Amino acid sequence: MEITFDKHSLIIDGKRIFIKSGAFHYFRTPGYEMALDRFAKMKSGGYNTVDIYFNWNYHSKAPGEYDFSGIKDVRKVLKAAKEIGLFVIARPGPFINGEVNAGGLPFWLLKMDDVIPRNRIGTEYHYSEKYMQYIEEWYDHIIPIIREFDNVILFQIENEYATDTMEEDYMRRLYKMAREKGLTCPIFHNDAYFAGLWADVVDIYALDLYPYINPNQNWKQDNFCFDTLDNVEEIFRGAKENSPPFIAEMQSGWFDKWDGSGYKHIRDALGDEHINIMTKTALSQGVTLFNHYMAAGGTSWDDLACDEVYTSYEFTAPIDEFGIIQNNFYKVKEINYFLDSFDFTNTDPVPFEFNQENIYTKLRHDNTNNCDWLFVRNMNAETVELNLQKTVRLKPYDMKICPVNLQLKGCEIEFSDVEIFARLYDENEEILFMIADKDANIYLKDYGIISGDKNDYDNLIFEKDGKTTQFVFLTKRLADRSWLLKDKLIFNADYVLPNGAAALERNTEIAYYDLKHKFAKKYCVINEFKDYEKPEIIKDFQIGFCSPEIDLHYDYSNWKKIGTKTDSFSCELYDEFVWYKAKIPDILKEITLSARHLFAVYINGKEVLNRNSYKIEKLQEVPETISIPLDTKILNHEINELTILVQNLGFDKGFSGDTNSPRGLVTFETKPTVPLEFYVCEKLSIERNDLRESENPYLTKITVNFDIDFKNDVFFAKYLSLENFWYRRATIFLNGVKIGRYIKRTRVQEKFYLINEFLKPHNTLDIVIWEKDRNIKSPWGFKSDMKNVIIQIGTQKMYQLFK
Amino acid sequence: MVVVPEFLIRRVYKKGSLKKLENGASLELKNVLGPGFISGFNYVKINDVIFEPKNVKFITGGQELAGENVSEANPVAFRLNQEGILVMTGQNCVIDGKNIIEIEVMNPEAGKVRMTVEDIA
Repeated sequence: MEITFDKHSLIIDGKRIFIKSGAFHYFRTPGYEMALDRFAKMKSGGYNTVDIYFNWNYHSKAPGEYDFSGIKDVRKVLKAAKEIGLFVIARPGPFINGEVNAGGLPFWLLKMDDVIPRNRIGTEYHYSEKYMQYIEEWYDHIIPIIREFDNVILFQIENEYATDTMEEDYMRRLYKMAREKGLTCPIFHNDAYFAGLWADVVDIYALDLYPYINPNQNWKQDNFCFDTLDNVEEIFRGAKENSPPFIAEMQSGWFDKWDGSGYKHIRDALGDEHINIMTKTALSQGVTLFNHYMAAGGTSWDDLACDEVYTSYEFTAPIDEFGIIQNNFYKVKEINYFLDSFDFTNTDPVPFEFNQENIYTKLRHDNTNNCDWLFVRNMNAETVELNLQKTVRLKPYDMKICPVNLQLKGCEIEFSDVEIFARLYDENEEILFMIADKDANIYLKDYGIISGDKNDYDNLIFEKDGKTTQFVFLTKRLADRSWLLKDKLIFNADYVLPNGAAALERNTEIAYYDLKHKFAKKYCVINEFKDYEKPEIIKDFQIGFCSPEIDLHYDYSNWKKIGTKTDSFSCELYDEFVWYKAKIPDILKEITLSARHLFAVYINGKEVLNRNSYKIEKLQEVPETISIPLDTKILNHEINELTILVQNLGFDKGFSGDTNSPRGLVTFETKPTVPLEFYVCEKLSIERNDLRESENPYLTKITVNFDIDFKNDVFFAKYLSLENFWYRRATIFLNGVKIGRYIKRTRVQEKFYLINEFLKPHNTLDIVIWEKDRNIKSPWGFKSDMKNVIIQIGTQKMYQLFK
Repeated sequence: MVVVPEFLIRRVYKKGSLKKLENGASLELKNVLGPGFISGFNYVKINDVIFEPKNVKFITGGQELAGENVSEANPVAFRLNQEGILVMTGQNCVIDGKNIIEIEVMNPEAGKVRMTVEDIA
């Protein structure tokens, strides 16, 4: 495939292509089947490209080791994209951010001597040849795989990179490496500062745009957040001549944090207006390559998350974490179908003067369709009536693309604020599907005004020189349920896959339309869906203890002995859970420690401290050091046994703080000072298959068994709800795979996706609880108390697929 | 949190805008980076003289804001291409020739944003 470009667009095999991309994380949506499902939905929504970060850390757990097998097989992900018919934007870092642990840099790399991650400390540039050698190793593994796929059309080096002095050798070396390894497609970088950074180093200049990054902000009220987007064409033109305007990350949602307000808040705040404004404003600025970050949310299962985010990486994306289409998806679909209807790859701005507060307008001439497009946006809290070419009424926070002097086959639109949804056409006939709007009109040359106040399927036909144009109206509700499939439109389906399968939640009459066969209908009866929306309360579960490590006399002789430095990097301990054990004498008066992020201290099998030290103030991690006074009640043996369990919620993602900030037991001191011999071990006992009889209930385990009735033509997504769970902390395992971290303190996530890839016909769900009520004295009392725990398993959505 | 390299932040300072006032100084800023908020004026330092927020005024968009009144709860919007004047009072600080100016403000997304520039009054 030959990929070139000019100042307007990408050109693939000699044809201009508008790139409508969405980001997808294969590591957060694991396995070929799940990738295929999300890609199919993206394609149905009109995306033609998927943007993929390749996560170095996910594939390399030890120096020189690379794993591309099983669910880590990226060939299968790329194959799925190819099968669905999507182009790919490949972004292998080396640093990717993406709110993943250590920003995607392998843990082992971060502790290597002479390696300076990203060649910078803070914002100061420090070139590290050793770091470059390891990148070469990563590129040697990933680029040959990427090169196997001819649908890869763009390749990114680094990620939102800048330093104080902007030395170019690092970025130039990455570019050169990619080329030397045989990569032929255009290379770009995503400038997060929209300042033309690295424009001279890459082939295509691209930038990232996130006007809403503070969920406490009201973007509707502070509507100047679009200032940069409103002027982005000027930035592109100033940055690089002959490079098409490319928004490498264009906001389609936002991530939530441990101390955040929950994804529901963000989804409600953004609504479907935000993505509509973002995307249409980008088009008004001549953008012909955009990438919605994200198109499909995911799950930070296992240890994927950086310290900032919790398990769900739902991102309020058009396709949510469960693979369910959301309201903003319908808005994207409308825009994408419109872009499929009229080639928008070659337009130029046209002067257009209109000044009114909170109204944005932009006129562009379309060199392909030889018409103009007027973009109008209303950022007022009330509907406005604007005297533009014609009178346009716009709802609050709405934006429209209005055709001006658009010559059709059977008539000419002088102006329309009834928006075009989709177009089917052949040489002599065309049908424009319009979104009915009682406040809007189509002004037709020679025919006058057609009101947009219409019902579903109302239509009008116009003829000229033996050619016809038919307008068919769809209400917004039906438009949401209408799906463009090559030369066909399918109505009334919850969604339609590229293979023509219609997904339905309930009995429905779906309709088809194509130019040859016209309308056809089909009644689809759902087979066996029960009332699945009500979750099942699980009453039958087993309870067991799972922290034998805390027991006095637990044999840890095979654990690793460490030196005086106890932090994660010094000990090469990168797992979420790390155990420390040591013998301590009874002369100690105090121990003082600092640990990241949650930890507990046990002496002689009894808990003396249980602490969550995760704290962010003014966007900075707050260090915490705690002293524990000791006495003879605690140190009741001559030689006492100290056990510390630390939960590391992830390394910094490296965008602001350092990826190699210490985790685990960061500092440990005793009073009086005595040398201690620490032994360490990673993971919970359940992960190490070290479940043995134990008397302590500090970590307990609820085990639930449940079955799944897999059916060929049914899509479903299941979840575990801890909404009525009264414990503070839990770790969730599905069939032995860690799929969730629960911390009640912030209540940001109480529902956990039971990731389809890990589901089997017979399943085991283990919930490890790290909390004991101090009032419960005996293990028996604890087990008895736990029997009242409420956990629920439910089905988020279920669709039957009809071919 | 967004880390903004200092060379970009420095672009906000309008070169040549430093003025010596009776018992103080003024300087001008223009937001060429992107729309956002200032959620606090930590300090302005001109040469060796430090001005606390209470001695800093920010005049922008027809408003005159006391530095101490700008906070996380009461941030001031600073739009793309918006200009503003910082007025520092209470101490003489500007010298003939080269002056070193350090400004530190807070931003809800980036945390502390600091710039150091040189200018001649």
